[in-house]
Amino acid sequence: MKTLVKKVFRVRELPVFLALVIVVIITGTANPEFFTLSGFQDVTLGVAVVATLAVAQTLVIVMKHIDLSVGSTIGFSAYLIGDASSQGHGFWYCMGLGLALGLTVGTVNGFMVAYLRLPSLVVTLGTLYIVRGLFNEVAGGNTITEDMVPGPINFMGLNTFFGIPYLFLVAFLLMLVVGFVMRRTRSARDLYAIGSNLLAAELGGIPVARRVFLAFLATGAVSGLAGAVLLARFNTAAANSGNGLELSVVAACVVGGVAIAGGVGTVYGAVIGAILLQAITMALGALGIPQFWQLAVNGTLLIAAISLDRYLSTRVKPTSIMGAK
Amino acid sequence: MKKKYTFGWDQGVSVFLVLTVVVGGFISEYFATIDNISFVIQDVAEIAIIALAMTYLIIAGEIDLSVASILSLTSATVGFLFRNGTSFEVAIVGGLLVGLLCGLLNGYLVTVIGLPSLAVTIGTLALFRGLCYALLGNEPVNELPENWIVLGYENIPGTFLPWSAIPLAILAAIAWIVLHYTRIGRWTFAIGINPEAAKFSGIPVARMKLGLFAMTGLMSGVAGVVYTLRFASASPDGAVGYELSVIAAVLFGGVAIAGGIGTLWGVLAAVLSLGAIRSVLQLIDFSANALLVVSGALLLISVVAPKAIEIYQSRRNSAFVTK
Repeated sequence: MKTLVKKVFRVRELPVFLALVIVVIITGTANPEFFTLSGFQDVTLGVAVVATLAVAQTLVIVMKHIDLSVGSTIGFSAYLIGDASSQGHGFWYCMGLGLALGLTVGTVNGFMVAYLRLPSLVVTLGTLYIVRGLFNEVAGGNTITEDMVPGPINFMGLNTFFGIPYLFLVAFLLMLVVGFVMRRTRSARDLYAIGSNLLAAELGGIPVARRVFLAFLATGAVSGLAGAVLLARFNTAAANSGNGLELSVVAACVVGGVAIAGGVGTVYGAVIGAILLQAITMALGALGIPQFWQLAVNGTLLIAAISLDRYLSTRVKPTSIMGAK
Repeated sequence: MKKKYTFGWDQGVSVFLVLTVVVGGFISEYFATIDNISFVIQDVAEIAIIALAMTYLIIAGEIDLSVASILSLTSATVGFLFRNGTSFEVAIVGGLLVGLLCGLLNGYLVTVIGLPSLAVTIGTLALFRGLCYALLGNEPVNELPENWIVLGYENIPGTFLPWSAIPLAILAAIAWIVLHYTRIGRWTFAIGINPEAAKFSGIPVARMKLGLFAMTGLMSGVAGVVYTLRFASASPDGAVGYELSVIAAVLFGGVAIAGGIGTLWGVLAAVLSLGAIRSVLQLIDFSANALLVVSGALLLISVVAPKAIEIYQSRRNSAFVTK
């Protein structure tokens, strides 16, 4: 019995899941609207973009790296997709463009971090700027309007599949696939090994550079494809699309128990973290608290989540930037 | 070995600064005018002031992403207090105090609770920014006293320097002396190189880090006051994204993200270089987007170049050995 209780408490996603349940119950009691289908759709639709990126970011964070360039990539990709579509190109061509952008950014990040062994924080901060600059140059003052959005993407942004928004389904399926891969395949398990103890992983014969490179490549690819999600969500894209999204994504991962110090956490946690942050945003509105407090609450929650995590785990030692050395 | 090379990097950045100024002068005749130099100094003042403190923090192996939010919260506090009837002087002191408290909170969470600074300061980035909105709502405070806001747009009488050059120069001098010529500076490097070893050699690591975070908060507060005067307004959404500019400048200035390496002179040269480049690009009607690309590229160069030199040197050394 005792071990079972211990085991349940060891599930990293438990605290954040409980927090989510509590938030939902409180909000639902205060405002029954929250329990309706439209309340559910609001939350799930609102979370789709961050959840998708959080799944990809998990790959990187468990290796004790970080990818800050995702916000620029997803914004640029959303714009490119809309722009290509408005010039009469087909859906798959547009998606291919988004993917190509994501792969390019991922390759640059991955090459510098994995093979040149440069700090990912600096590298991806650099690519954040470069991609954003190129994006702004290409976009100028143009705005992608609804009539320029490719048909299938527009459809997915507006419609639901038996009440579940398509966009959330995309994020959810991605989570299931990546979650399965990260649990079951050896090469993805290696990412955890790299994040827990780099030296040991190297000595243990893990091809560290290749794994790191591929993880960054995958994160880039997802960010590129997720441009379609961003475009579908807002039906518009302009030079500021996706600005600052990287911090929301990292926050969702960390709240969901993906430790910044590497080696632990799952994509399920990251998605629950994203949903929790989104639900709280909605809850503030439902409880009649001014929207102004929303950011402050999100920040406090992030700090509370990592404090709790630190309290619960004895394994992680104190810290430098990314946690224990 | 490592030390020798950083010596080279901050000199390299200084040379780069000189080159930028010379090339800028050739490209646009307006660039080297007194008015423009004054403008550039004013333009970089806030980022430079925060970068002074961030240099210490990154050398000590920590980071603070919440500086732009602290800047804005200070500004919002000044505006809030002033709107509610306190004198402007008191409001400024209150703002600086808030900056210091923000820094202390970051430091407390990192040193006492033992959380990674990257995650903590992403959290406080949101928290402090949220408090700006909680304080001011959506209404910026624009009616600031005239005798103060002239400091934001006029030059020091008899010179071409903006008023913000005074705090910048004084703080830069202090930061330079303390980092390179005092015990506190040596401790900062020691902590960054190896916190364990620093602890066992009797350095109060936690207290030092707490102090550095508090100082970063206070400096962001000072930058917040400068910012408020420059724009003659306290708004909740000011300076968004400045934290990345500050960090980019510090890293381009030769401070290693892993800690333990860096010079203050290099960082100042980097801040001024970026300001000068921005000015040149504006003068030749280049879009502001080019600056983003240039900042990013310089940031990447600042990590790739040392690596390339290292690889080159180790190849040469090993070739020598095998001979």
